Amino acid sequence: METQPSSSSPPSSSSIDASSDQIFYYDEAAQAKFQQEKPWAQDPHYFKRVKISALALLKMVVHARSGGTIEVMGLMQGKTDGDAIIVMDAFALPVEGTETRVNAQADAYEYMVDYSQTNKQAGRLENVVGWYHSHPGYGCWLSGIDVSTQMLNQQFQEPFLAVVIDPTRTVSAGKVEIGAFRTYPEGYKPPDDPVSEYQTIPLNKIEDFGVHCKQYYALDITYFKSSLDSHLLDLLWNKYWVNTLSSSPLLGNGDYVAGQISDLAEKLEQAENQLSHSRFGSLLAPPQRKKEEESQLTKITRDSAKITAEQVHGLMSQVIKDILFNTVRQSKPQTESSDPEPMVET
Amino acid sequence: MASSSSSGLTFKLHPLVILNISDHYTRVKSQSQPPSHASSGGGDSSSAAASPSSPSAHRVFGCVIGVQRGRTVEIFNSFELLYDPVTHSLDRAFLEKKQELYKKVFPNFYILGWYSTGSDAQESDMHIHKALMDINESPVYVLLNPSINHAQKDLPITIFESELHVIDGIPQLIFVRSSYTIETVEAERISVDHVAHLKPSDGGSAATQLAAHLTGIHSAIKMLNSRIRVLHHYLVAMQKGEIPYESSLLRQVSSLLRRLPAIESEKFQDDFLMEYSDTLLVTYLAMFTNCSSTMNELVEKFNTAYDRHSRRGGRTAFI
Repeated sequence: METQPSSSSPPSSSSIDASSDQIFYYDEAAQAKFQQEKPWAQDPHYFKRVKISALALLKMVVHARSGGTIEVMGLMQGKTDGDAIIVMDAFALPVEGTETRVNAQADAYEYMVDYSQTNKQAGRLENVVGWYHSHPGYGCWLSGIDVSTQMLNQQFQEPFLAVVIDPTRTVSAGKVEIGAFRTYPEGYKPPDDPVSEYQTIPLNKIEDFGVHCKQYYALDITYFKSSLDSHLLDLLWNKYWVNTLSSSPLLGNGDYVAGQISDLAEKLEQAENQLSHSRFGSLLAPPQRKKEEESQLTKITRDSAKITAEQVHGLMSQVIKDILFNTVRQSKPQTESSDPEPMVET
Repeated sequence: MASSSSSGLTFKLHPLVILNISDHYTRVKSQSQPPSHASSGGGDSSSAAASPSSPSAHRVFGCVIGVQRGRTVEIFNSFELLYDPVTHSLDRAFLEKKQELYKKVFPNFYILGWYSTGSDAQESDMHIHKALMDINESPVYVLLNPSINHAQKDLPITIFESELHVIDGIPQLIFVRSSYTIETVEAERISVDHVAHLKPSDGGSAATQLAAHLTGIHSAIKMLNSRIRVLHHYLVAMQKGEIPYESSLLRQVSSLLRRLPAIESEKFQDDFLMEYSDTLLVTYLAMFTNCSSTMNELVEKFNTAYDRHSRRGGRTAFI
């Protein structure tokens, strides 16, 4: 009996397998050579891709989630390969931030040195290539402080990468919310504004986002795993499918959804105020302003649609589970009858 | 050695530990064989095929950490350790250093035991095991078999506990197998799903998200269905007398069946309905927002069109 994922994954994973185990070899000489050439110094847009190992992703997401609503941070170890930064592993730092402030303190640096040293002894040869931190509930982007931290690190510790994870939205959306960023050097004007993926940003953070969003760019993220990893992950599913049925995103993320809705309400109010303003002075207001407001409303619409889709997904699994496990009494007289749909009537 | 444990402890293993051991092993393996075949694509598959023949050549060692609450042991994370070939044990100073580092980040996690790779527990492993006993009274030993065997349907991971047995009049510690379950937190499950199927990092449109969501549920239900079918076949065979009658298994099946329907109470129905209506309300709200946005757009357009006339006719705007 083949399971769905294992029967569907081989075509995609086998093509990756061929090269995936080679990626684990660390060539110190090549890395040192690359380090000396500094090809990124000429082109501020040099690094375009990020490859994250399954292990690093899992470690980062689990750490981010364990922080709850508190921001946590850690460092990533890895190497470079052409225009790609490869993240092999990650480790947590004993630093906790609040809101959009994550700052590594002196003891964190000491911790970092200690950890890297023990790691090198244990056969993890890669150097630190970046840092990650969590933005629980407000999306993957760099705040003003993040930008200055990253800028500083890019000056002295190249190659360096910033990764942001939103554990709350990960759970809510059912997919990993992650972003990888690099800042431009100071004074650099990006040639053309690449349309980044739209994301919801809460009202109280929107200013911070808007001021700094032109100072960095996002990198394309892909993942890799070793042949042993994919073998184990396939087998894991055999033990794992129960969790898909036993989890409920509706229950786990009630707070987040409520917060999102109240945030939307605030945004709506703001949009309404602006609209009524422009109505009175419609002759004075330039037409450009109207364009902006329209897009604000469309943004709100998109956000609400997103929340709704997530909620409906959650409910859908609940209804399916209810049908599966709670409608036994109806099928008692005629064993295994076709599924009735009681919830639609109610 | 193959006897199962009687300590009554429940082990919960997180996927992170499995990946951690797998990564540790792969890393050491690929580092010990420099990719001389890096240029040739064909050489890679041969190296993968050759590796299972000598898995013990590079065993890796590490420590598993987690939480023990009552009779439940939950293994959350792990870290690498150094093996000292001279004393045939683990590097103690290194362990303490690592423990101290991990303590700072995960203050609630304690050392639960250790892990290694190989096909079965070896005699020398007891030596390492005993050395850990002053940190944890009864350490666990997580063993991962790194050879890839596609015929095998179960995870190649065994958890051993040590038990004191009197053999030939001498009390001796021996390894006994324990059963374990895979445990995850929601975020962990999502990322495992994510890497297991290597989805693209962006979610795509709402339709693909819905498809992904439903596919996930579908495959889980299919799995459930296949398990039930196996049970059913077994029971039918037992009824026909092809398989010897086994009361303990039957008791388990019957207790399982008696648990259905899973939740059947007034309270659940109420709460479920509430949840249902809540979601409908959210949908309703979203529809409202959508509607008003479209309306607003229409009015804007109308005004733009009307404005031109009004300037000539000298009338006020529509709204």
